[in-house]
Amino acid sequence: MSAVTDTGQAAAPGGTGARRTAGGGVSPGWSVFHPRNMSPALRVWLAVLLAGLLVGLGAWVYQLTQGLAVTNMRNSMMWGLYITLFMYFVGLSAGGLIVASGGRLFGAVRYKPIVRLAVLEATVAVMLAALLLLPDIGRPDRVWHLFRYPHLTSPLIWDIAIVTVYFLISVTYVWLYTRADLARAGSRLAFGTGTSAADLARDERLKTALAWIGLPAAILLHSITAWIFGLQIARGFWYSAVMAPLFISSALVSGMGLMILLALVLRRGGRLSFGNDLVSSMGSLLGVFIAVEGFLVFSEMLTAAYPGAGFEAEPVERLLTGPYAGFFWFEVVAGLAVPLVLLAVRRLRMDMRWVAIAAVLAVVGIFVHRLNIVLNGLSYATVSYPPGVSIGTAQPAGETSFALSLFYYPSVIEWLVVLGLLSLGALVFTAAALYLPLREGGPGAAPGPALQADPGGAAME
Amino acid sequence: MADKVSPIEALPPASREYGEIDRTSKKPRWAMVVDQERCIGCWSCCVICKSENDVPLGMWWNRIDTVGEALDTPYSEDGELRMHWLPLACQHCENPACTKVCPVSATYPREDGAVMQDPERCIGCRYCMVACPYGVRVFNWGTPERPTDFDTGMVEPRPVGTMEKCSFCVHRLADGQVPSCIWSCPAQARIFGDLNDPESAVSRLIRERAGYQLLEERGTDPHVFYLPPRRKRGLWT
Ligand code: SF4
Ligand code: SF4
Ligand code: SF4
Repeated sequence: MSAVTDTGQAAAPGGTGARRTAGGGVSPGWSVFHPRNMSPALRVWLAVLLAGLLVGLGAWVYQLTQGLAVTNMRNSMMWGLYITLFMYFVGLSAGGLIVASGGRLFGAVRYKPIVRLAVLEATVAVMLAALLLLPDIGRPDRVWHLFRYPHLTSPLIWDIAIVTVYFLISVTYVWLYTRADLARAGSRLAFGTGTSAADLARDERLKTALAWIGLPAAILLHSITAWIFGLQIARGFWYSAVMAPLFISSALVSGMGLMILLALVLRRGGRLSFGNDLVSSMGSLLGVFIAVEGFLVFSEMLTAAYPGAGFEAEPVERLLTGPYAGFFWFEVVAGLAVPLVLLAVRRLRMDMRWVAIAAVLAVVGIFVHRLNIVLNGLSYATVSYPPGVSIGTAQPAGETSFALSLFYYPSVIEWLVVLGLLSLGALVFTAAALYLPLREGGPGAAPGPALQADPGGAAME
Repeated sequence: MADKVSPIEALPPASREYGEIDRTSKKPRWAMVVDQERCIGCWSCCVICKSENDVPLGMWWNRIDTVGEALDTPYSEDGELRMHWLPLACQHCENPACTKVCPVSATYPREDGAVMQDPERCIGCRYCMVACPYGVRVFNWGTPERPTDFDTGMVEPRPVGTMEKCSFCVHRLADGQVPSCIWSCPAQARIFGDLNDPESAVSRLIRERAGYQLLEERGTDPHVFYLPPRRKRGLWT
């Protein structure tokens, strides 16, 4: 906090304009967080997020006092929205390291202008994923047990380990990519590092080294998250070797979709600059990812359904025709087919509006895909004789306390807690996007009319 | 809870004898046999389990599934109506799916084959419940509610936000007594004993009556064995 007041005081007398020119047009400093320096739209946006965060916190406190009974999860549907969003956010983080690590290792220089955005997105997404575990567990007061008594055969422990590693890698990435600009602006976040040629050369070496760690870590992250589900022989719908590849592909789809959207928003907000061709090329990459995703989904369904019997066939039949069938068909049509067509047609891919629509569909489609995995894996009793599993909370007189299946929809509290977490993520992201120099390419890293760098210039680093 | 008296103390000697474990080897491996031919679907074992273990409202460690499509309703096979039940509690698997996935070892297999649950360790992630193929675990979603305002159980009640399930009544085994669901069965459809002793009642019954395990193909290797009904309860057979 002292840093805030220190730099805040330094900036306040001069006002915004003075600060910007005085600072050589480099980094805006902490003063960007002063309400006076914000556009009305930004102020409203932050106020909404803050309100969302408070509401979410309130809902979580309520859930803490009442137990998970205030959710709609029960013994016959023991995981719900929280876990779905956990794996969804793990997936959303994919875009980041793919662009950063992949770009560096395979020399895709054209992604340079968005590379900082990418690693920032990964950081926030994986942070949200980790936080989503807190409201999900029944005894958040005992999370320390995970570190005190880790049971190494549990995929959940593997996942917590890789999520932690991945978060650290992402934070390091963000810092490494922005630190030179921060140092130039005299920010404390540069931790006293310099900007000499030797420093910059060391940055480059570190970035490459990190890329070599980051890419396998990303693949492990999605695979291990898949194995939480895919190793469970009790759940025929999950028990499949295709789970890990499928999670990687859906992570790529949602991560890339979100990257496109964030990049477009930040360009509009003046925090990034790049040409439309970059978005189109991200769009075609997204198209390829969607095609792979569709192929894997189809392959899994066919394998499960073809024998026409066995413990895999039943859930597939329910998926295609049961109470949740609408979700599945939404996933196939709106999440896979439509965006694939939009991105495959060159003329549409050149139009930013269509690319944005395809990206929204892909991002929503993957969420529904994750929902399908959880709902169809869990919502039916594995021993399917009546009366089924005991529900777990006292039922009103005259109503059964058993259920063979439960039609799950999240409770208001669940939605509010999620709203709070999403608001927190958006707040962190907005704050970081305001404060950190997101533009790649040395002194051109700050807003200002003279510095609307041409996209080509970004490739210099 | 040691000052409480188990209901079995009130029984006449003959019944009490039925409440004792018959014979054990040096290193017992506990197992339960459920005779589907004798079970009459009365839920007595489920009810006594609730009282023995202070199981809260809305939760059952033990339940009686009806084979077929509808509760307490016959199913049809070979043109005959038949009726059988499948009493279901934790199967105390030799290779438990639940213990493997628990991130904090709050559920763990004991030397003697009983699968235990530690309510002080459990973080309430419910992964064990996802992993169990038998749907026999129950979770304290809210503050546990009970019909009486005093505790009825012979064991400590479990707090909100933790998992619980059938314990094989290990607190009774220590005294050489069978679990409560065993002695309370009016049809003597449940038998308990040591799998490692080839002459124990459970070993003999499994051998002679072709005892089978539920969902054998999942490889969990339960310590609960079912005896298939020999006599069909049909109208003509
Ligand atoms: S029946 Fe389920 S809970 Fe019991 S030991 Fe087997 S896997 Fe675990
Ligand atoms: S709910 Fe408790 S016992 Fe079950 S896996 Fe989680 S921590 Fe272990
Ligand atoms: S062994 Fe004990 S805990 Fe398990 S079902 Fe029987 S009475 Fe209940």
